[in-house]
Amino acid sequence: MGAANDDNEEYEFGDDDTGARPTANDNDTKSTVVARSSSSSSTDSKKSTPADSSVVFSPELLGMYYSRLFPYQLLYSWLSYDPATAKPTNGTNTNKVATTSSSSTFPRREFSMTIEPTPGNEVYIRYQSFLSQDELTSAIIKRRPTKIDIGAVFNHPPKDNKSLPAGKLQTTERELVFDIDLTDYDSVRNCGCDGAKICHKCWKFMGMAIEVMDEGLRSDFAFEHVAWFYSGRRGVHCWVCDDTARKLSNEARSAVASYFEVNLGSEKNKNFHLSSPLHPMLVRAYKILEPNFVSCVLPEEGHGLLATRASWTKLLLTLPNAANPVAAKLEEKWSWSKDDTTPEEKWNELKSALMAFIGKGGNNHNAKQVKSLSNADRLRIEHWPLETVFKYTYPRLDINVSKMQNHLLKSPFCVHPKTGRVCVPIEVDKVDSFDPFKVPTLAQLMKELDEYEATNTDSSESVRYDWEKTSLKEPFECFQKKFLVPLLNEERRAQKEERERRAAIVGDF
Amino acid sequence: MNVAGSIRSRPAPLSDGKRRGYADGIGGGIASSSIDVDMYTDVPSFELSLDEFEEYALARLKVLRKIEEMKTRNLTPEMFRTQLDASIKANLTVTTANNSNPWESKQSSNSNTNMAEASKKLDVASHFILRAAYCRTEDLRRWFLTQECHLFRHRLESVAQTQTGSITDGGGGKKNNDALRNFLANNDFDLECVSRSEKEKLRDKLLSVPSGVNPMDFHNTEYYRVPFVQALELVAKRECYILGGYAYVPLSRIVSIVAAKFRATLSKSLALAAGVFGQVAHDEQARIGPLLKSMNSQYTGPGAPNAVLGADGQEVLTAATVDALAAQSMPLCMKQLHKGLQRDHKLKHMARLQYGLFLKGAGMSLEEHTLFFHKEFTRIMTSDQFNKEYSYSIRHMHGKEGKRGSYTPYNCMKIILGNPPNSGVEHHGCPYKHYDDANLSALLGQLKIGNASEREAIMAHKRDGNFQLACAKHFEVMHPAAASLEGVNLDGVGNHPNAWFSASVSYHNAKSRNGASMDVVKVEGAV
Repeated sequence: MGAANDDNEEYEFGDDDTGARPTANDNDTKSTVVARSSSSSSTDSKKSTPADSSVVFSPELLGMYYSRLFPYQLLYSWLSYDPATAKPTNGTNTNKVATTSSSSTFPRREFSMTIEPTPGNEVYIRYQSFLSQDELTSAIIKRRPTKIDIGAVFNHPPKDNKSLPAGKLQTTERELVFDIDLTDYDSVRNCGCDGAKICHKCWKFMGMAIEVMDEGLRSDFAFEHVAWFYSGRRGVHCWVCDDTARKLSNEARSAVASYFEVNLGSEKNKNFHLSSPLHPMLVRAYKILEPNFVSCVLPEEGHGLLATRASWTKLLLTLPNAANPVAAKLEEKWSWSKDDTTPEEKWNELKSALMAFIGKGGNNHNAKQVKSLSNADRLRIEHWPLETVFKYTYPRLDINVSKMQNHLLKSPFCVHPKTGRVCVPIEVDKVDSFDPFKVPTLAQLMKELDEYEATNTDSSESVRYDWEKTSLKEPFECFQKKFLVPLLNEERRAQKEERERRAAIVGDF
Repeated sequence: MNVAGSIRSRPAPLSDGKRRGYADGIGGGIASSSIDVDMYTDVPSFELSLDEFEEYALARLKVLRKIEEMKTRNLTPEMFRTQLDASIKANLTVTTANNSNPWESKQSSNSNTNMAEASKKLDVASHFILRAAYCRTEDLRRWFLTQECHLFRHRLESVAQTQTGSITDGGGGKKNNDALRNFLANNDFDLECVSRSEKEKLRDKLLSVPSGVNPMDFHNTEYYRVPFVQALELVAKRECYILGGYAYVPLSRIVSIVAAKFRATLSKSLALAAGVFGQVAHDEQARIGPLLKSMNSQYTGPGAPNAVLGADGQEVLTAATVDALAAQSMPLCMKQLHKGLQRDHKLKHMARLQYGLFLKGAGMSLEEHTLFFHKEFTRIMTSDQFNKEYSYSIRHMHGKEGKRGSYTPYNCMKIILGNPPNSGVEHHGCPYKHYDDANLSALLGQLKIGNASEREAIMAHKRDGNFQLACAKHFEVMHPAAASLEGVNLDGVGNHPNAWFSASVSYHNAKSRNGASMDVVKVEGAV
């Protein structure tokens, strides 16, 4: 029997190949997956635009997103690594760009989809692959996945997996990816958030993590094509797409991930100590993180680490025992009613008091006391500010995601079913101003589409993609300009060199 | 051949008093601490008798097995070094017949050189013989690769360590430094030396990396610039400075890079060898072909034995026989899994893997496996639920789902080094390793394993951390005089649960064949 086809067919749910569901389902309230915020689940979503904007996600909205807004061309062009895909053919009909693949890698790329043939019943389909952008587009529109994952490039199209002998299907390349999640910051989130909940205060941790990782990947490993995405709810994803990164072995991926990973201790094991001397990568990270720590973690409007008496007492208690005299002195000074130092001033005061205590930095008048400290104590005191900053702000990677070529990671441009927000690209230069709460939701996008079309009735308007009519325009165009174009230029250069090299070999110029 | 050349070029360290002191100190012979590190890139053309061929292979196998065994125990690095040096000296070092004491032979530098050459020959030949014998299956290759890499690294470190230890004794270190550099040059390590000016510019950064470089020696330390993918181990541990995709590595840390390259090269050669093995074995049908093939079945330690056949040649392990066989022939870990399954009517993930793959390896078919688990699981769940949640993973284990890999049963090392079970809930793991003394002792008593003194012998092994020896002792107690029975293969008992099982089954078969069916009767009575 045709095993390869069976796999493709068995999970399909009807023949509705457009975004619109049969009306029978529309009246069935169960079929509407409603985001957590929604109180009214009786949504009359028969029209394209639901009036109730508190519904951020529903199968109907998702269908609409896939048929009108999803940037197939960007995704295809990126994952093809083929400059020829950069120039889409003209045509106002949104995503219907007829490209047959000239790319050698795209057809061998694994896609996985999570679909909900019936509400509450999730089916996960692995090993999908598509020959062209058209095939990808129609599959997504037809299946309307609640989540799309991207896997590795294999030596054969993964959709043939059942017809290949066991063990024949092997990964050949894959972007180097990183996953950072705010859930891993629970122990240091003093803003009251935990689990999937986020707020502006704790989102700052993501900004810091991006800065540190981006810099490390670029200057230490010389990677240039690094793309960051909002994961749709509580974290960020990083895709390193340089040719060398894509070809890294699993061992190399593990090594790079471990290089960046700092074991910050855990609830059960609070012993977190940095080794001395501090690795240059960590020195640089500290330089990036400390100012952020001072401005975003210490003050009341941050995580209030030095904002109230209770909080600074708690922080001073984390000092090594040998530094108790410093803690006692500062505790007393700061508690004095006339002391009006800011958290930042307190931090600097604390740091210089510690350095003076161990005989570093300027005034060295208690040399006797310095001598009585053991080397180990001195080192621990010296490292305390570093360790404190790292404990709060150093990137907490989920390194298992990075280690294997065939680990799946959610595709950019998807929509998170719980928040309805699009996994938009994040511009590293403007990471500070990225606001996850301003990322458009499906409902908002539909409204924007309607509004645009109401005000721009002139149908000859030259908009190539519908997403240009919405607030996705800015992040998508930025992705194209700052990431995709340089990436494809690089590929073009590489292709040209390869051609010339081959020509030189056969003497055919 | 450059190998021999590099040996001859090193008489100096051998006669160096300081170095000999060092060699004495770590309990190794001269040959093991001198630089006979070889990348084994050139296939040698020795003339060997068939006897030598087998003898050499066996000698190396002993060392590799020793490494495997030591790695399962928590030895300190020094103990590992000492014991490995001793094993190399005993097995891979030639001490001429009329000169059995290696120290005596030193009196004549001539015979010394001959011995070194003979040792070299033994080392190189045995490596290539085993390479050929162990290239056939994925499992064999992995085992060989792992142990060879440990051995290679050990030897290379002996060189590098003498060098780092040199900060105090000046001259000797310099010499070894040269030796290491020669080794690199001879083996085509095209490493880019960092220029003096660049090195000075990066001084602070290079010194803030835990690399064993003393700031006082910085000026005289050579640094090399290598693509970071060649220094993955150092990268992972943040033990080198990285800039622009390059790792900056001092000469003393080059070991890591060389070892990585050795591993990669050997791994590739093994894969290539596997491809041509069939042809070679065919051409050599009359001579070494059978020898190579039997080498691994004769000394199986690492591989997983095949399906277990009964006296009638049929596969014995079915849903109907598994209860009786668990009681009669399974090692303790599998007995406990079986008991856990009977008690809870389900097994957690790790336990399903450990037990399921064991059953598969012992010849239980997918159908029987499903039938057996279905029977147990459905006592606490519906058949539907079982089919939905568990049958997929059983099919997966048998290579019928997902990537359809051919999964091999876990060997003892994997079980011992794996995650410990959550007591009470999980049943996987190795009882000798994961149970405390009191629990294990109670269990042995409860299962009526041997008499009190035999149980104490098992416990003694457990307390010393020799879990596999404890398990082998268990076998010995349960199968008296097993070695004397025809058709009983004891290789791998204590290294692989499947070997234990198949040895036990064949033991009982042999017993019943011989008419002395007392044991069988006894066991069946107990069931």
